[in-house]
Amino acid sequence: MSLATMSVGAEGSSAPTGGDPAGAPRARGGRHAGLVRALAKRLGQTALVLFGVVVITFGLLHAIPGDPARLILGKLATPDKVATLRHEMGLDQPLTTQFATLVKGLLHGDLGTSLVSRTQSVNELVAPAFANSLGVVAVALVISLAVGLTVGIVTGIRRNDGLDRGLQALMVILLSTPPFMFGMVLLLVALKTKIAPAGGWNGTPLQSLEYIWLPATALSVALAPVIARSLRQSIRETFAQDFVEAAIARGLPRRRVVLRHVLPNSLLPIIGLIGYSLGGLIGGAAVVEVVFNIPGIGSRMMAAVGSRDFPVVQGIALVSAVTVIAFNALADAAYWIVDPRTRTAAS
Amino acid sequence: MTTTTLAPTPAPRRHWLRLPHWRFAGRHPNGALALGLGLLGLIVLLTIVVPMLSPHSATDIAGTPLSPPSLAHPFGTDTVGRDVFVRTWLGGRNDLLMVILVVLASSTIGTLVGVVAAMGSPLTDSVLMRLTDAIISFPGMIIVMAIALVFSDMGEVGPFPRGALPAVIAIVVINWASYTRLVRGEALSMRSRDFVTAATLLGYSKSRIVTRHLLPNLATTVVAYMVVDAIVAVVTIAGMPFIGAGIQPPAPEWGSLMLAGTTVLYTAWWVTVMPGLVVTVYGIALSLIADSLLAQVDGGAR
Repeated sequence: MSLATMSVGAEGSSAPTGGDPAGAPRARGGRHAGLVRALAKRLGQTALVLFGVVVITFGLLHAIPGDPARLILGKLATPDKVATLRHEMGLDQPLTTQFATLVKGLLHGDLGTSLVSRTQSVNELVAPAFANSLGVVAVALVISLAVGLTVGIVTGIRRNDGLDRGLQALMVILLSTPPFMFGMVLLLVALKTKIAPAGGWNGTPLQSLEYIWLPATALSVALAPVIARSLRQSIRETFAQDFVEAAIARGLPRRRVVLRHVLPNSLLPIIGLIGYSLGGLIGGAAVVEVVFNIPGIGSRMMAAVGSRDFPVVQGIALVSAVTVIAFNALADAAYWIVDPRTRTAAS
Repeated sequence: MTTTTLAPTPAPRRHWLRLPHWRFAGRHPNGALALGLGLLGLIVLLTIVVPMLSPHSATDIAGTPLSPPSLAHPFGTDTVGRDVFVRTWLGGRNDLLMVILVVLASSTIGTLVGVVAAMGSPLTDSVLMRLTDAIISFPGMIIVMAIALVFSDMGEVGPFPRGALPAVIAIVVINWASYTRLVRGEALSMRSRDFVTAATLLGYSKSRIVTRHLLPNLATTVVAYMVVDAIVAVVTIAGMPFIGAGIQPPAPEWGSLMLAGTTVLYTAWWVTVMPGLVVTVYGIALSLIADSLLAQVDGGAR
């Protein structure tokens, strides 16, 4: 039984046939009932999380001891000026009205207006910074996957020999190195050897690839070892399963057992891992960018905090939250497509 | 029958797979644990002893600015001539204090909520877990930083320098949820095990079952996760100064020490790299401990 159900995913050759467990829920509520229910649940959760982020950031703005307007203008400002700014920020209105205004703006995709440069919208300020950070994160993802998958497969298939243990130790060391520490070491290397510009930026992420790869490498120490370790674990667990034993018993060559039976089943947990790690990567990018002097959300956040530009802080938090949630949803969808078993388990 | 059992077992054929005997787990688990504990002990000892015994204080101008590591200044001196060795270990006190507080507070809150969710009514469980899921899907670091920044005006509190407590609060606000998810899962699977059923049939109260049966059995898992969490916490804490949050200067802290060195990275690498190495060694020590503990939790499955 387990052999039959497990190897469907492994062989990937044909759709599940009549007798498989996926057939059971189809009897009631149509073919896509499970999908619709799962999607509805996911959308509900997403809305809840987003609302939570809005409430927290809004709450923070109002929980700060003292008056934001006073904090922005400084101790020497006249009460008149403070009152004017309070009015401009809408702080003189009741909390519920302020919250409603915020939510209404957000629903229109409007993050508000910067308090410091009054003419600029938060969208204008945050969008380019966020694009730059995402550029760093994307390249870091590619590097992490390349390194993590390679090391994971090599250490997963090899059994406790020198290479396995050496790579394992290296992964522990990398995992224990904070990305900003690794970034500084790379920056030092770049300064000494000129292999890459030592920080800086040039327009859009695509134009700045030569500036991106070093910070992205630094950031990838947060993810590559995690991928490698969990893939190694996953491959070893898959090897212990009946369908692999059956494949070996059938006398299939090693290459085929690994490529067709073990790997496809071992790669599944990696999808969720990447979705789950993205929030951490964005946070890590904010820090690494400061080291490499990249105009991303890290430096934007720092500037916004220095000048008490709360709408910008709030905007960055919200945009990051939306991105992370979107990626988690994508990871779930990927599971749905790749692994037929989740379609029954999800409901 | 008897003859087959008594017959000498043939040596297992060395198939290229060497199917699952997971020899890795049993190989040097205690060696790794001992090394991890030793390194961690050394770091803790140095953070206590060095600031006490050093001839320089953390704010003294101890030597020529930017002098490289030497016997007098093992980690060199910084841009104003302060001793990086003393500052690193004094900074370590701050980092370790914050980590301990973060881990203790998060694990306590998280475990309580997790047990309540697992033992409470389905409605309680559902509400608590939705909340937990929501918090786990927050982009942690960014929210943590926003919270820490907003409260950055809070002054010095007890042994905590300015900026330390807001950072701790911010991390705990997000961090407890991971413990909740872990504990609830474990508690639910335990609730259906025989020893809990037996306790229930004996008529023991819910609180007795939780305190005498569930919590002791959850302890190993939670402690193993606390060790992993202590690595993540220090990376978060040390990352904060880079975007203006966390402990405020002049109080030393691993992250702010490294940040201060970035401007002179080319000429004086030691200002940045030495505290960074300490953070890395701290991480390696905890990874070794965590791996050994997790191997025990998984019953050697790793």
